[in-house]
Amino acid sequence: MNDETDYLAEGRQVFVEESSELLQQAEYILLKLEDEPDNDELINDLFRTIHTIKGSAGLFGFDDVVAFTHVAESVMDQLRDKEIFLNDDLMGLLLDSRDQISQLVAHALDNAEVPIGDSLRETGEELLKNLHQYLDIKTPNSSIVITAESELKVLTESEIALELTEPESEKVTNDYWHISIRFNRNVLANGMDPLSFFRYLETVGDIINMTTLTTDLPSLNDINPEESYLGFEISLASTASKEAIAEVFEFVLADCQLQILSPRSKLSDYTQLIYALPEENIAIGETLVASGALTEDELLKALEYQNVDIDKQTIVTEENITLDKITNALMDDVIIDKNIVDASNVDTALDKQKQVKEVEQQSVRVNAEKLGDLINLVGELVISSAHTELKAKQTEQAELLETVENLTRLVEEIRDATLSLRMVQIGDTFNRFKRVVRDLSKDMGKKIDLQIVGGDTELDKTVVEKISDPLMHLIRNSLDHGIEKPNIRTANGKSETATVKLEAYHDSGSIVIEITDDGAGLNPEILTAKAIENGIISANQQLTLPEIHRLIFAPGFSTAKEITNISGRGVGMDVVNKNIDALRGQISVNSELGEGTSFTIRLPLTLAIIDGFQVQVGQSSYVIPLDLVEECIALDEQQAKKGEYINLRGEVMPYIHLSEIFNDEDSLNSTLDKPGRRYNIVVVEYAGQKAGLVVDELLGEHQTVIKPLGKVFQNLKGISGATILGSGEVAMIIDVPSLIRRVV
Amino acid sequence: MSKPTNESISSGNVQQFLTFVLNDETYGVGILHIREIIEYDNLTIVPLMPDFISGVINLRGNVVPVINLARRFEHQAKEVGKRTSIIIIDIEDQDGESVEVGMVVDIVNEVIELADSDIAAAPMFGAKIRADFIQGMGKIDDKLMILLDVNHVLSINELSAITNIADELTTPSKSDTL
Repeated sequence: MNDETDYLAEGRQVFVEESSELLQQAEYILLKLEDEPDNDELINDLFRTIHTIKGSAGLFGFDDVVAFTHVAESVMDQLRDKEIFLNDDLMGLLLDSRDQISQLVAHALDNAEVPIGDSLRETGEELLKNLHQYLDIKTPNSSIVITAESELKVLTESEIALELTEPESEKVTNDYWHISIRFNRNVLANGMDPLSFFRYLETVGDIINMTTLTTDLPSLNDINPEESYLGFEISLASTASKEAIAEVFEFVLADCQLQILSPRSKLSDYTQLIYALPEENIAIGETLVASGALTEDELLKALEYQNVDIDKQTIVTEENITLDKITNALMDDVIIDKNIVDASNVDTALDKQKQVKEVEQQSVRVNAEKLGDLINLVGELVISSAHTELKAKQTEQAELLETVENLTRLVEEIRDATLSLRMVQIGDTFNRFKRVVRDLSKDMGKKIDLQIVGGDTELDKTVVEKISDPLMHLIRNSLDHGIEKPNIRTANGKSETATVKLEAYHDSGSIVIEITDDGAGLNPEILTAKAIENGIISANQQLTLPEIHRLIFAPGFSTAKEITNISGRGVGMDVVNKNIDALRGQISVNSELGEGTSFTIRLPLTLAIIDGFQVQVGQSSYVIPLDLVEECIALDEQQAKKGEYINLRGEVMPYIHLSEIFNDEDSLNSTLDKPGRRYNIVVVEYAGQKAGLVVDELLGEHQTVIKPLGKVFQNLKGISGATILGSGEVAMIIDVPSLIRRVV
Repeated sequence: MSKPTNESISSGNVQQFLTFVLNDETYGVGILHIREIIEYDNLTIVPLMPDFISGVINLRGNVVPVINLARRFEHQAKEVGKRTSIIIIDIEDQDGESVEVGMVVDIVNEVIELADSDIAAAPMFGAKIRADFIQGMGKIDDKLMILLDVNHVLSINELSAITNIADELTTPSKSDTL
């Protein structure tokens, strides 16, 4: 019993991930469609996406989701058949429908037992009403156009009806769907319970008659209770489409032979059915008669008909249909029957489908927790290997040293490979903002073009997750406060459509994300006045322009005259700054009045393992992130005494003594004691700023596993974390950005 | 007046305490809080910290802060000796997450059992340490011993707040104009 609950919980988890991914994809496709409304490929993708959501929701019995999604899907189906065309209204409607599905899914997952809330239901009804308007446009006389391009064409009910061009006498008289299903023996072993499919079938229609075929059943001694031997012939009263009925069995398609005949099918279809089924023709025929699918007369005719016609027809056995090929299979039926497209074309289409599938299968879904565990383990491995290296050096055995060196190299490779597992492209996060920009710009009556550059830039998944909210704030701010209304823009000689650019790129061990708009820019006078009003600065304080710009990050600062629902609660930028700080990143702002504003966010690539450069100050070891180290130079005594700047090949560079910053008495004293001792400067660079850190000794590179220092030290400045050295001692990691900020 | 913690109620009428010596005074701490006891060794100093934070140690791959208990009580700390130890305590921070913190003591003695009747309420005044650090007074052979309330002694909230003040005092104001 428990196992079953576990399976269900596991399945739910998969559904949660899958549906959120699919919904995001649907949104992305919709937005792309807005730019290329005639792209059939996109419409197909959209249909498939929504279709899959419906299918999986059905499996979990989320009826609200299925009911709504079905209508949306039907509209998309019509889009695909070019019976209706995309316009602004439909676009908005489909986007809203996507949101509704998302809400319904969220509701179903949270508390499926409770009926959906009033507001959710009302929105749903409103949307359904609008969706149905599009469904009603469809004319009953529309003809079937099957071309090689419309690969995924699926027959709708009316089309099936239209297809029946043969005389009435050729058709059977019953009004029910006929379903023949033979489960493979291993169906139970594959985790499918045939019974559950019939239960689900009852949600699609009423089962009028069901005959169980036991011909395959071996004698009692030979029965393996873990195998399935039964076949079923079912009569179903349903108004659902063939596709919807086939979908019931979607998950078991690989493990069964399934034939579905629509009501009043051609007699020849039954003939094919009889011959395609594994049992004796007569036995099957009698079963069909017994179940009411055929009359005796019809059976006789069908068997005769077979002899005449079977050669000309291609029997489509659905034996080899895999899960996602169902639509193709249904189409096969039609295309081959009608001889419109020759078989080779169909094969090509199927091949294409297969290729798409193979590409998709190249990724494996892994639990993030497992990945985190792996990265932690690799961290321990790195520390352990550093320890081994240290011990090996002490033995001075050449052979041992060689092996250890090899081992260290491998560990380094494993480290890089493992870390890269958690690297994801930032593009998905960026794409999410397309919708935000679209909706907000419509709400505010502004015309905004969102440009995305460098979406394939990779960074740690944990960082990506945490950067999404701050980015959202920045974009909303930019749209709300930055971009002017179209009429103001034209009056100022700017193009009516504003541009917001999201750009990501790598820069010496950091990822840089820039958000640039060509809006009104920050007005220093308003900013200063507001800051004085809010008591953030005093009236006589003189600030430089960058300092004024940074005022927007001060807590409790908001310039919006009125609070809009988009931004303007006066917490946004403050929170943005804090969130980015928590990621050990930095945000800076650059703005030109009337020209626009740009925000630059710098983040470390990973929060797990970095290459470090180890230095000694007094008795303590410190680690500087290697990516930020430019070079190491010697500082002569004369210069050291002169003060805070040195001449670095013609460049003026500030420097600081780490011993002073960290108040290290040992080092300070030894500095005073020994005249003529050498000083080393580690030149570090961050965000284009160079500075020198004076240390006592350079100890060389060190693979640094970043260990958090914990909450006790959360307010410590100048130190970003700790690491464990080969000797087992703890060393502090220097927070270069904050030190540079201090000296520059 | 401090109340016994939940754990102490569930363990019946007898509670176990680890006793240790700090500046010639014996203290007790409930053993349910204690993760382990380790030798005082390999401590790394964290710069810019107030003196009651001795530094950090590597505890099987985790970086654990170590508190100098004597300085936390605002007493003089003794020189590190042969028997100086670090008691690793498990406490919860304000978010309910479990955090390990070490505290330096001079000598670790033994585990004793005290019946509830042997535990008196904390005195209102007259103790050598802050009243909220005291969970109660344990009586053994007519002698009184302070039983520490580690959640207050090692309160993460308070420790980080104090380090913040210390940091602001030592940091030039230039870095925080805004």
